[in-house]
Amino acid sequence: MHVLLAEDDVETAGFIADGLRALAHGVTHVTTGDAALQATIDGSFDAVILDRMLPGIEGLEVLRQLRARSNRVPVLLLTALGGIADRVDGLDAGADDYLVKPFALVELAARLNALARRSSGADAPTRLEVGDIVLDLLRRDVTRAGRTVYLQPREFALLEQLMRHAGRIVTRTMFLDLVWGFHFDPQTNIVESHLSRLRTKLREGFTDDPIETIRGSGYRMRVDA
Amino acid sequence: MLKVKSSAAYRIAITYSAAFALAVVLLGAAMYQVADADFRRQQDGLLKQEAANLAQEYDEGGLPDIVSAIETREAGSSIKAFGYALFDHSGRRIAGALDTARPTLGLGMIAFRDPIEGPDSARADARDLRDGYRLVVARDTEIMEGIDRTIVLLFGSAFVLVIAFGVVGALVLGGYLQKRLDGISGVARAIMSGDMAQRVPVGVRGDEFDAAGAALNTMLDRIGQLMDNLRQVSSDVAHDLRTPLLRLRNQLEQVGTVEGAAARAIEQGDAVLALFAALLRIAEVEGGGLTRSFVLADVSALTIDIAESFAPAFADGGRRLTWSVAPGIAVLGERELIAQALVNLLDNARLHTPPGTRIEIRLVADDRTAQLSVADNGAGVPVADHARILQRFARGEASRTTPGNGLGLSLVAAVAAAHGGSVAVADNDPGLCVTLTFPKVA
Repeated sequence: MHVLLAEDDVETAGFIADGLRALAHGVTHVTTGDAALQATIDGSFDAVILDRMLPGIEGLEVLRQLRARSNRVPVLLLTALGGIADRVDGLDAGADDYLVKPFALVELAARLNALARRSSGADAPTRLEVGDIVLDLLRRDVTRAGRTVYLQPREFALLEQLMRHAGRIVTRTMFLDLVWGFHFDPQTNIVESHLSRLRTKLREGFTDDPIETIRGSGYRMRVDA
Repeated sequence: MLKVKSSAAYRIAITYSAAFALAVVLLGAAMYQVADADFRRQQDGLLKQEAANLAQEYDEGGLPDIVSAIETREAGSSIKAFGYALFDHSGRRIAGALDTARPTLGLGMIAFRDPIEGPDSARADARDLRDGYRLVVARDTEIMEGIDRTIVLLFGSAFVLVIAFGVVGALVLGGYLQKRLDGISGVARAIMSGDMAQRVPVGVRGDEFDAAGAALNTMLDRIGQLMDNLRQVSSDVAHDLRTPLLRLRNQLEQVGTVEGAAARAIEQGDAVLALFAALLRIAEVEGGGLTRSFVLADVSALTIDIAESFAPAFADGGRRLTWSVAPGIAVLGERELIAQALVNLLDNARLHTPPGTRIEIRLVADDRTAQLSVADNGAGVPVADHARILQRFARGEASRTTPGNGLGLSLVAAVAAAHGGSVAVADNDPGLCVTLTFPKVA
């Protein structure tokens, strides 16, 4: 995937660009708001990582102008401002996701993947299918190899996110955001406790676990299963 | 001490009495004008009436009658009300004692010679009779001038008195105000020079100064608390950061030689970042300004959602989480903050109790408030520490070794305050019960 990175801090930009290139993504790096706007006119990107505080035209304004031009490219807003009002402002301006500095690279990569997939994939599937697991969003039921798996609402929501991002990492904070709407990190690992129950239920009667734990990063739905 | 010129109190008092004095002057002038004109009109009427009476005597009885009438009047009147003079056609005075030259006709002032006091002036009415006679009736203006003088004197002294009272009043009032205000400025100066313990003296009368003084004292108390808080936080941050940073440094030192050191170092770094995130969140909540994003939040649904989400994790740790939630309770606030407050209480209940503990969430409401409490039947916290554990970095003795940064409950307190509510810590006997109270929306 080809990413536009608009970040004026050299060190942060280097860390992000190196990390993304190591994950085989193409990165175009600009350091000002004006350059970022120009780059979106000249070229086409799969996603934009936009720092909120850029010299020249600031990040939020770049985003507004981008959206005013009907450019729907997925934008991940990067910011040092973690306040509740800041987040709302960012999303109001048209950001698809919002990541507060400092962050782990794996978090950024996972979110970028999710964004790019969201924009390119079929827009509102009512049925998700990965391997022998089928999740029906309308009937709210799950089957594995044709056998019904009875899930609690949060287990269902976790599985839905894993299947939407099948083959890709979903981090703990992404789960907290997508399933609970929390933008803070509880000390109690509610994600893990629900996921372990989900995994037990999915495994019942089978030998393999369709969900794998990526240590220090998050969870991933196997696509090869 | 007496800064008369620059003192607002003196200026106000003096301006006030000057305004009074001006009113006295205006009243005096008006009264003088009206009284003087009235007296003149009355006097002119009397003069005309007397002249008409005498003219009638002449008409009825000729010269002898009028002469005798004049003589009778001059002899009879003990007070010299009028002066009389009758001139023949050659201008010679043939009757009356009024020593004056033959005046022109009509009302006017004349000059005459008083036998005792010498030349004087009087108001006179002169009219012609038949056969060339001219009758003059005059009245001394002294009476009227006397009345005028009395009015001027009266109001003049009133003016002086008002000014005198005003100045004395201004000095007394000004001195009083100055004294009261000096008390406040004195305290302000003492505080500026570093004595934060000083407070404005507040009297027992409860007047405006006492009210202002009490308000200032409350403000000073609050500022004092904030300053203490700030001092405490700065030193606590420095202190509490040293330990995790030292651990981080040690982990980094072991990278390459000890297995898993890098992962532990990252974990340690995350702990430091979490501490800062918590501090920033508290600062954001305490800074206010969040009310603009407040909406009606369904706390009942939120509480059930969180309770259901936490129950498995509690069960995994061998604890039991139960909840009783009254339906349909809404609070004007920020959903995520209320969620974080409840989550922090649950984190605490899980981290600081032994396995086997029962934890209960309760949400109830009365007419005005919604109360959200988390109670456990664990070891509890000594009553002496109840107030302290709400402060930043405060940790109970028993929790020294358990994870946590001592910021969870202070965020809960900040969230309660931001929503116009409060937080209370109570003994659950056994265990601890923390209750959040929010103002309820009907």
